[in-house]
Amino acid sequence: MSVIDSKLLPKSPATRTAWVMALMFSVALLLLPHIFKLDGKPHANWQQFIGRFHPLIIHLPIGFILLVPLLEVGGRWKPSLRESASLVLGLGFISSLGAMTLGYLLAYGSGDSGAGVTRHMWGGIALTIGVLLCLLVRPLWASGAAPRLYPALLGCVLLVLSWAAHQGGSLTHGSNYLTESMPPLLKRWTRLGSSPAKAPVSGSFYAQHINPIFDSNCVVCHGENKVDGGLRLDSYESLMEGGKDGTVIAAGAPDKSLLLTRVTLPKGHKKFMPSEGKPPLKPEQIEWIRAWVQQGASSTATSLAGITIDEHKDVPLLPVGDYSALMPEIEAMDSGTGAKLVQVSNKASDGLILRTIDVGKKFGDAQLAQFAKFAPYIVEVELARTGVTDAGFDTLSKFTHLRVLHLEDTAVTGNSLTKLIPLSQLTYLNLSGTKVTKAALAPLETIKGLHSIYLYDTPAQHAPITDAAPPIERKTL
Amino acid sequence: MKQHPLCTDTEQDLNVRALPIPEELKQEWAALQTRRHFLGRAGKVMGWAAMASLTGDHALTSVAHATVTSSTPKAITPEQFKLPNFAPKAKRAIYLFMSGGPPQMDMLDYKPKLAAMYNQDMPDSVRGAQQLTGMSSGQARFPIAPSHWAFKQHGKSGTWVSDLLPYTSKMVDHLTIIKTTNTDAINHEPAIMLMNTGNMNSGKPCMGAWLSYGLGSMNNNLPTFMVLQSKLNPIENNQPVSSRLWSSGFLSSEYAGVGLRSAGDPVLFLSDPAGVNRDVRRKMLDAVHQINQQTYEELGDPETNSRISQYEMAYRMQTSVPELTDLSKEPKSTWDLYGSEAKVPGTFAYNCLMARRMAERGVRFTQVYKRGWDVHGNLPKLLPILCQETDRACYALITDLQQRGLLDDTLVIWAGEFGRTVYSQGGLSETDYGRDHHPRCFTTWMTGGGVKPGITYGETDDYSYNVVKDPVPVRDFNATVLHCLGIDHNKLTFQSQGLDQKLTGTTPANVVQGLLA
Repeated sequence: MSVIDSKLLPKSPATRTAWVMALMFSVALLLLPHIFKLDGKPHANWQQFIGRFHPLIIHLPIGFILLVPLLEVGGRWKPSLRESASLVLGLGFISSLGAMTLGYLLAYGSGDSGAGVTRHMWGGIALTIGVLLCLLVRPLWASGAAPRLYPALLGCVLLVLSWAAHQGGSLTHGSNYLTESMPPLLKRWTRLGSSPAKAPVSGSFYAQHINPIFDSNCVVCHGENKVDGGLRLDSYESLMEGGKDGTVIAAGAPDKSLLLTRVTLPKGHKKFMPSEGKPPLKPEQIEWIRAWVQQGASSTATSLAGITIDEHKDVPLLPVGDYSALMPEIEAMDSGTGAKLVQVSNKASDGLILRTIDVGKKFGDAQLAQFAKFAPYIVEVELARTGVTDAGFDTLSKFTHLRVLHLEDTAVTGNSLTKLIPLSQLTYLNLSGTKVTKAALAPLETIKGLHSIYLYDTPAQHAPITDAAPPIERKTL
Repeated sequence: MKQHPLCTDTEQDLNVRALPIPEELKQEWAALQTRRHFLGRAGKVMGWAAMASLTGDHALTSVAHATVTSSTPKAITPEQFKLPNFAPKAKRAIYLFMSGGPPQMDMLDYKPKLAAMYNQDMPDSVRGAQQLTGMSSGQARFPIAPSHWAFKQHGKSGTWVSDLLPYTSKMVDHLTIIKTTNTDAINHEPAIMLMNTGNMNSGKPCMGAWLSYGLGSMNNNLPTFMVLQSKLNPIENNQPVSSRLWSSGFLSSEYAGVGLRSAGDPVLFLSDPAGVNRDVRRKMLDAVHQINQQTYEELGDPETNSRISQYEMAYRMQTSVPELTDLSKEPKSTWDLYGSEAKVPGTFAYNCLMARRMAERGVRFTQVYKRGWDVHGNLPKLLPILCQETDRACYALITDLQQRGLLDDTLVIWAGEFGRTVYSQGGLSETDYGRDHHPRCFTTWMTGGGVKPGITYGETDDYSYNVVKDPVPVRDFNATVLHCLGIDHNKLTFQSQGLDQKLTGTTPANVVQGLLA
């Protein structure tokens, strides 16, 4: 006590009462989690119902509290702003208290638990107490009695606010929400987002195919941060351990495995998982889990009988820029060459198709060259039965985003196919009905994602499929 | 009253309303004007409607975008600004329609337990409270008729296929077989309407019309939606098929399907008459264009503009259709694949080949009708004929599309309007049985862009009578087709009769995720 200046101590009985009440209130808040423990068991439905408004209300105190420092600072030049700061701070306290109560009801009612939930809870409680203290300390600051205490406290409140809000965001969106789409360079720089490999036996079917399903669909609620139903699915051990309803995987018996039951309930069933309108597992993912459980739910087996997974991975697609601003020019191309630029879909990022189908032989290399300026937006070029020749490859090599290229029944010879090598996005190339030879195709092997090359009726093709079928057999009844 | 440019009446300059004549006379005059106007227009409307059914180019009418200055108006429907809703897997579709209702348990829905139940009565519990058609409801008993043909497993997928379909057997790893398609109708007309338009009553646009309206044309020289009917085999039980199945309903008639005739000129009156060459035709069209344009300026009716472009379309079709139907340049491998039957116009094999040629030329939606599947009796004799007519052609079409690289972005659909009963209609003997209509489950397949190859979806009970797992009602089937073409079926709508009408109707429909690649 001696370190605190005596003038800081509450003087009037009214302020003293306020301090005492605030102190009691804070203690009550701090005791709350010990009285109503977050034990992972769901409680009354009404609690959940009200509690679910927490994510909605929560933005109110955030807004109020962020406004306070702005008003205080702005008040230096415009004192009227500072007059309202105290009101906003009061609103901030009331709304924090409300949001905190709802949040607690949400966690308690729905039986949430886990490190993330606990952190978020303490963050919320600390914040509410912090704002309350700010409210009490502010008059001292305003009167000049304690010029540093209030700004310092407010600073702390803002830090706690950001931290608690981040914890909350991680609960709803997953802890890698912010870092997932971070540019690789930034990631490396911040050393974030690279989740350290906790993979069990790398190369096992579990590690390669089963764990990733849980990772992307389940661990938001059944992971380190949030352990709904006492179940964690982020490691093999915790998966096999199960949750409060017992084990969820019965090795060898998919029909007795609670996890499979819950993900295959009819959609809209109360117990369907993933819950709350999150996207359901894909049928093949369920099939893999079923087969994996059926065949012993091993953490080490590298393959499963009857399950083949196409390991072929397309080269990640380069995003196509937004061409909306060029629409007038794009539409004007139609009247010039007769060929059209057509939207793949109404999303600009899906790119454009160059369509020449009703122009035919009149569309040649010169016409193609006119489209070079739209190259970054064109993902598919249909040149079948046009007058395009080998000279057209000079233009085509500029179409860096090209995924599909049709050259059926054109005069291209294959001598210039090497010019396609820079087109790293190319997955489909149709050369049917051209004079392309097998040798001319060899350089294309460097395009990793190019998995569909069509060579019907070319010197490069083996005989077309025409074989006949055996005669019909009849069965006697 | 403005003078119509084609009207030779002289009374236009008179202001009849202002004349000092009795009111009754004025009214009579007005009535005559209206009637004259009506009759005059009615004649032309008939002609327009006829032209519209000949052509199907989307770029013909646009109320909002009609401009007098351009002879080929670039018109896009409001839908086409918004579609596709997402990047489509398939740009076009070919729908092989097996009119009459193929018997699923004799072709693709293998029911091994039936063999032991030959001529036993079908348990009442299987049929439940279902009402049957008048053709078999009076039968004293419902004897189980196992399939006459053996089934074998084929392909990597191990799909069971009847020996009647040796060619289909070879492509099962490409097919997405749906065993649990089911419909609400038990008779041909409502069932075939439901399958094509999503509604049992006629008057709704069919799938091809919705696609033309929503996605527009890929090739302005050919209609967007074309229909090919296969020639009838008189020994088969053929149900009528007519233009109601490719009508545009309440959508503008330009979205209706254009049929190619199976014999003679593919499109009537498309060839220039003797003595009229291309230049004369062009000059004539230019003159008609001028007059039409004058009409447009006078009356401002956008339909006039659409007519101008219909004429242009017909002019372009004069060269594009002969090119389309000229098979002389097809290599020998084509005939080896499809069989020599494909050389005969109007056969199902010929139509399948045409469907491939239309796919190459950017026709958005091609529907091929094969009738005769209505096997109420004499099934052991008729079904082999039907399968022989279609099996190889289907295989040839799929193989052809695949080796030419077209199957990647073409969706092929094979379906009838319903299935057939496991019990025999009429007498059952070792060599003869028939099957009645059956709506509760029937087998269809798809392949190509957007669907998952080599799977069999859904399960039926041991009698191929009820769906046990994963039903696919018609609306879900159609929603899935639209999905493959990049369309959210809930977003392709048109206001009519106070409702945002859509292909999948008012009962909530779902895209069948299990069918998608």
